Amino acid sequence: MIWSGRTIKLLCAAALVCSVSKTNGQSYTGSKLKVGIYSSTPLEDIRAVSEKGVAAVVVKTRAVVVQVPVKTLEFDRKLMQEHFNENYMESDKYPYTKFKGIIDPSVDLGKDGEYTLNVSGILSVHGVDQQRSIPCKISIKEGVLTVDTQFKVACADHNITIPRLVFAKIAETITIKVSGQLSVVK
Amino acid sequence: MNNNIRFFITSLAALLIVATHVKAQDADSLIKALDTATGPAPVDAVFKATRVVLSHSTETQKKHDLDLRIRHHFGDIGGRFGSAHTLYGLDAASDLFIGLDYGITDDFTIAVGRSKQDETFNFSGKYKLLKQQIGGGTPVNFTLLAQMGWVAREPFNESEFARYSDRFSYFFQGLISRKLSSRLSLQVMPGYLLRQYGSAQGDPDNLFVLGFAGRMKLTKRLSFVADYTLVNDLSRPADLTEAYYNPLGVGLEIETGGHIFSLNFMNSEYILENNFISNTKKSWNKGGVRFGFTISRNFSLFKSKHQDPEKQSKIY
Repeated sequence: MIWSGRTIKLLCAAALVCSVSKTNGQSYTGSKLKVGIYSSTPLEDIRAVSEKGVAAVVVKTRAVVVQVPVKTLEFDRKLMQEHFNENYMESDKYPYTKFKGIIDPSVDLGKDGEYTLNVSGILSVHGVDQQRSIPCKISIKEGVLTVDTQFKVACADHNITIPRLVFAKIAETITIKVSGQLSVVK
Repeated sequence: MNNNIRFFITSLAALLIVATHVKAQDADSLIKALDTATGPAPVDAVFKATRVVLSHSTETQKKHDLDLRIRHHFGDIGGRFGSAHTLYGLDAASDLFIGLDYGITDDFTIAVGRSKQDETFNFSGKYKLLKQQIGGGTPVNFTLLAQMGWVAREPFNESEFARYSDRFSYFFQGLISRKLSSRLSLQVMPGYLLRQYGSAQGDPDNLFVLGFAGRMKLTKRLSFVADYTLVNDLSRPADLTEAYYNPLGVGLEIETGGHIFSLNFMNSEYILENNFISNTKKSWNKGGVRFGFTISRNFSLFKSKHQDPEKQSKIY
């Protein structure tokens, strides 16, 4: 078999393109993200947390998706958890809360480092989509992307109504925390 | 030959580029691959409370939750004992009940209570064997109930309660329910009552019964509830000198986060299964219907011990 110069050139080019697309086109995924909610009023503090959030970051397109099954949020009071799913989130009808966005283009995700950036996109809660820009801390080190963010969501923005009887116990604005690690997809 | 190899390598390279490109671009498909919440999932809140109107529902208490229930049955609305003279039965209390239900686990509840009728104390255990699932799992909920009644009052005559064991009655029930939609849940419950006292001439001591119950949500927190228990025409003979009726209860149930208020109408004078199944002597047709209500308050015990602080709730 004789390899012509052109073929070798072509092969090198292909290899180059592949390797380039590999560094630029890498993706990160994580499946054990911690997603917490916190409601605070003078009468009552309510917290719940899920450790079953999933996330994906595609470096090339800067696309981010974070998703959590609503029913995986755990409360210390199970009856409260049932009411959360049944009366407020309607989890049988809307089983997921999802954020789909694009990372601020001023940051080069190909390099290790710590970044504070904005992710803008659509937050979907209780079947209602809202355009959001969410500030986020990201650190990238040796193929592990660590994310940490905290933001507020108004119940009314997502058609979640709080009846007058429990109005004093549930905050109108809920703090949401997302943290966890994503690793490079091989 | 050379051309073939060249073509092969070019295609391979192109394929590789395309492959990495596709793999890299689609965050949604990456998420889909990670999603673990697929497959059968349990159905929650088939009923809001552990009782429908008169009868139990398949629901059990959540682990370490204590439910304080206070129930009241007034007198006849119409007929000889009703009308404006008794303010349509509100002057009389045909039965009163106070009870505590406690969840040992999410599926196993123990309960104790006391009724005015016959000064009956009850002790019961309730175990949820099957839980309905969505996504192709178990189709129904199945709960077992066992309840002992203990009559504490003085005997009316010397022959009553000749043996101490005559004071006890036992009720066993299998409850099968299904949440058909987010609004509608239906239940069927066969049961068996064993008793040692109180049966009228010709009425068997032990009765086989078949109950039906349903819940229709009107809003997220307000439901229409109803239950009916077939006692006559099953193991009870039709030619008794004293007339007994099948218990039928209807009501509205209002849930306000930890409290449940239930406003009911029913023909049964009594509250406990061990009493109302065998002893309903009033009829919906003859003014024997009465108003009743339940107040239920749920307390979460031991909730914050050894818990993740990120899950802790606090009441000030």
